[in-house]
This record gives sequence, C-alpha cells and structure tokens, in this order.
Amino acid sequence: MTIGLTHYLVVAAVMFVTGLFTMMTKRNAIGILIGVELVLNAATVNFVAFDRYLGPDRLDGQITAIFVIVLAAAEAALAVGICINVYKNLSTVDVDRANSLRG
Amino acid sequence: MEFAQSTAWDGIAVGEHLFAFSPMIALTVTMLAIVACPLLIGRGARTIGSVTVLGVFFALILCFRVGGVVADGGLSGLSTSPAEGILLVDNLSIGFQILLLVFLAGVILLWWAGSSETEKNAPEFFILLVGSALGMAMMVSTANLLMMVIAMETASLPSFALVGFDKTSRRGAEASLKYMIFGAVCAAIMLYGVSLIYGLVGSLSVPVIATYTVDQFMGGGNKLLLTVGLLCVFAGIAFKVSAVPFHFWCPDAFEGAKIEVTTWLSVVSKAAALVMLVRVLTFFSAAIPNAFAMSLLDPIVWTVAIVATVTMTLGNFAAYRQESVKRMLAYSSIAHAGYMLSAAAVLLHPSVAGSESPITALLGYVVVYLFMNLGAFGTVALVGWDTGSDRLDAFTGLIRRAPLLAIPMVMCLMSLVGLPVFAGFVAKWWVLVSLGKMGGTVGWVLAVVVVSNTLFSLYYYMRIVVKMTLKDDGQTPLRASPMGVGLVNICAIVLMVLFFAADPFRHMTERYSKNLVTASTLSSADAITVADSSPTATDPTAIERGGN
Repeated sequence: MTIGLTHYLVVAAVMFVTGLFTMMTKRNAIGILIGVELVLNAATVNFVAFDRYLGPDRLDGQITAIFVIVLAAAEAALAVGICINVYKNLSTVDVDRANSLRG
Repeated sequence: MEFAQSTAWDGIAVGEHLFAFSPMIALTVTMLAIVACPLLIGRGARTIGSVTVLGVFFALILCFRVGGVVADGGLSGLSTSPAEGILLVDNLSIGFQILLLVFLAGVILLWWAGSSETEKNAPEFFILLVGSALGMAMMVSTANLLMMVIAMETASLPSFALVGFDKTSRRGAEASLKYMIFGAVCAAIMLYGVSLIYGLVGSLSVPVIATYTVDQFMGGGNKLLLTVGLLCVFAGIAFKVSAVPFHFWCPDAFEGAKIEVTTWLSVVSKAAALVMLVRVLTFFSAAIPNAFAMSLLDPIVWTVAIVATVTMTLGNFAAYRQESVKRMLAYSSIAHAGYMLSAAAVLLHPSVAGSESPITALLGYVVVYLFMNLGAFGTVALVGWDTGSDRLDAFTGLIRRAPLLAIPMVMCLMSLVGLPVFAGFVAKWWVLVSLGKMGGTVGWVLAVVVVSNTLFSLYYYMRIVVKMTLKDDGQTPLRASPMGVGLVNICAIVLMVLFFAADPFRHMTERYSKNLVTASTLSSADAITVADSSPTATDPTAIERGGN
C-alpha cells in the first residue's frame, strides 16, 4: 500500500478533531492553547499534502504552511505572556476561575 | 490604470504599486520610529505620542494622494496577474484607511487627555496600537485568504496585548485571557477551513473561489467539504465582527481593557472585519452568471440576515440590564455590528447586486458610528478618570457637575439611538433604504427588526440621559481635562453637521464605494486561467484519485 493524499488528510482530520476536543474540554488556558496548536498544525499538514499531490507546480500551500508556522509561534509567545500575567494577578490559569467579568 | 493591466514582470510599474500601498508603509515606518525614538530623543510619553501623531498624519496625507490615483478603478499589487495580487487598493480600502487613521488620531488625543509625561510603557502601547491599525488596513485591502488570515492576526495579536496592557489590573488580565483564547481558537478553525478550500479549489484567491463555489452549487459537485470550509472562514470573520454566536469575548474584553483601548477596538476592529466581509460577498455576487442563479446564494443571504437579527437583538437586550456604562456601550457596539451586518446581507440580492448603495450605507454607518462612539466613550473616560468608576451612578447629575461633558454625551447617545437632528438617524435611514430597495421577505423582515431594535435601544440609552439630567445626588463637580472636553464636543458637533449636510456626506461616501476591485476588473480572463491551469483540483474526484 502506498501512502497517498488520503492518509495525510486523515492524519490532519484526526489532529483537527483532537485539537477541537481539547479546546472544548480543557479548563486550563495552556491546555486550550495546545489544542489550538494541534488545529493549526492540522491545517499545515493539509496545505503541504495538497501541494504535493494535486499538482507539481504548486507553491501556494507550501508558502502558506510557512506563514502558519510563524503565526503559530507568534500566537504562542503572546499567549504564554498573557498566561503569565494572568497567573501573577489571579494565581491560576484556570479559565473557569477567571470570572470577575460577567453579566 | 495602465499599470494594472501589465502582463509581464518588466511591465509592472513597481514604483506606482509601492506608492499605492504607501499608507501602510507609512504606518510600518511609524512603528520603527517609535522603536527608535526612546534611543534618539527620549522615552517621555508625550514625545512618543507626538511621533505617533506625526506618523498618522503623514499616512493620512498619503491616503488622500493614493485616493486620487485609484479613484477610477483599483489595482491589485505587485503581481503579473491581477487575480493573484495579494494586496489590492481601491476606493473602499482607501476610504476605510482614511477613517481608520482619523480615528487613530482621535484615540491618541483621548489618551493624551488622560496621560502624563511620566507614564511608563508609552512606546510599547503605541507600537501595539499602530500595529493593530496596520493589520486592519491590510484586512480591508486584500482578496486572498492567506493575506486575510495574516491581516486578521496582525490586527488581533496586538489587540490581545492592548487589552491586558495594564499589568496590575486583574480585570485587564482576565479580559485579555478570554479575548486571546477566543481569538486563537477562531483563527485556528478559520485556517483549517482555508486549507480545505485550498485543497478543493487550488487557489487562495477569493474571486477564483467564488467562481468555483457558484459552479459547484449549480452543477452539483462536492458541496459538503466546500460548505464546511466556507463556514469555518465565515466563523473567523464573525469573531472579528463579534456577531452572535462569536460575541462572548466582546463585553468582557471591552470592560476589562483601558478605556482608550475599548474605544479603539469597539469601532475599527469590527468595521474592518465588516468591510472584509463586504469584499468577499461582492466577489460572490459578481461570480453569479445570471439572475436565475442568484437564488443559489439564498442560503448565504439568509445566514447573514439571521446572524444580523440575532446579533442586534441580543446586543440590545443584554445592554438593557447593565450597571456599568462601559459594558453597556460594549453591548451596544454588538447591536450596532448587527445593524451594519444587515446592510451586508443586502449585497447578494439580485435587485441591488452590483450597485454600491449597500456599501455606501455601510461605509456611512461606520463614519457616523466612529464619531458617536468616540464621543460617548470619551465622556465615559473623562468621568472614569475623575471618579474612578464607570458605573451608572458616577454619571448622576452630570449636567450640573460638568455641563460641557453632559450635553455632548446626550447628543452622542441620541445619535446612537438614531434620532433625528443627529447623524445616527441618517446612517440608520440609509441602511433601511437599502433594505427596502432589496424588498422581499428578507428585506422587510430585517427592516422591521432594525426599527423595533432601535425603539428598544431608546430605553437603555435614555437611562444614562435621565441619570445625567434629571437626577442629582450632590456629587462634587467634575475636573476634566480641557483637551478631552474639546474632543467630545467636536464629535458631537460633527454628528449634527453630518445630519444637516447629509447630501454632501452621501456624495463623499458614494465616491469611496464605487469603482471597486471586483472579479470583472480583476480581469475575469485571468481568474479563469488560474482555475483552468489546475484541472485536477477543480475536479471533485481529485481527492479520491489522489488517495489511490
């Protein structure tokens, strides 16, 4: 059996669903961010796989993948900074405990 | 536009194209100048503020110059084929950038009124502020999904940091956490949707995607995956617009943030996403071959209309029971996003498709909304800085304590309701007229919803007015900075002027909503070539074949 596009898409879909599940069930902000990273990487796998299998002269997907990696890094850096700030102020990064703003 | 139709690299007038994007380049240079300023001149807050204002005015002048160049038709930048242009410039994007820069200057003036020379972290604050402005400027000047994602993130990431800018504030920390998590989740889902669309269509260019979508819906191809992808992309845009059900971040982030930041985000971050949505919808309606096929897009029209209805109703009903004026105005901004969305719903209808009247209505609404929100939030800021509270009680007897603040505040609130003599009425009227022109079930239902929501919103805006004018519990007179008072009064006067000069105002707005870059000006031949050059991708069975 050769490894084809479908295999990559299935891996990406599994990553997407895992990430989505993580984002919905985790109460810890860092946990939610790990879910976000999974979804972003699922998109990256999709982009690269589509480029490889759907045409030899395609480059858009590869370029997009690089942009997504940079985007994920920037987002992670900022998110962890915000989490540190939250921890300093609230002594927790549990999103359910951050509940002073409501109504 | 001889340079827009060039066919080879050596045919591109690179200088002309770079000039078209010069307002964005000016904003980038401003950011660099803010970095350099502490090293060369000094770290004083006012110094940095002056540098930023200078940069913004420079960008504004460039905007007007570019506006003259693209008046007769936009151009798509630095690419041999216009359909592949990553960034584009046309009247709409220039018009929005002018608004953005005027508003940025207004927000900096508001900051100026409440700051001191010794304020720390001013360079960081202004870099983040100008950075998010740059992102919003890019959001409105693109028809490429990759660029849309990057622009949205460029606008979002500094906004997350701005909301939590005050490191000692618990509420700020919590607000930025919620905003950031919600934003990151929506961006990730949007990107996954983009990857699905890219796999199906083989291009990231919105005109090509629109053509492909219409073909699929007419021919009956692989619709499920395409629908999922498009829904993911619209979810990302809806997050920025704060449309229901993606609005949860909005009141929390706006209440926890510093008031200048709240003012900034409440208008432009939503408006930028709305203009982006308008651009996407314009491409979709341009891709429709005939009026018969128009009904294919009915699901999209209904979706936008339902989201608009729910958004404005929920915003108004939630605003009604708030005790914090800041939070009340945050919910009111959700409601106004709903009013603007209802203008966007009109875009895809056959009777108005191709005409610029809904775009004019939306752009006019943004102009008016900008001034009334700047005035209202400015008053909340000045009251908050003096009393340390943004509760409704802090406004009691404001007409005696600070008449020069209370009167413009009343005018701004009347305008937010949409009562005559103020420009809010003109803005709502234009939206209603374009809904009426559209007619049909959707149009009339939306018009009724807008009117009844307006009547309902009268109640909670009036609560503030009554508290300010009719009640008095003997609080001490307010000390407000003259600059802030001046800013608020100017906003109120502009609102009246725009009402009495509605005709010139209409002409101005129309000038910036016509001759847009559409699929036809993006040379439809090019768009088709791009789609045809990858036959495997446009074939719905391509994925299955690739797997074997």
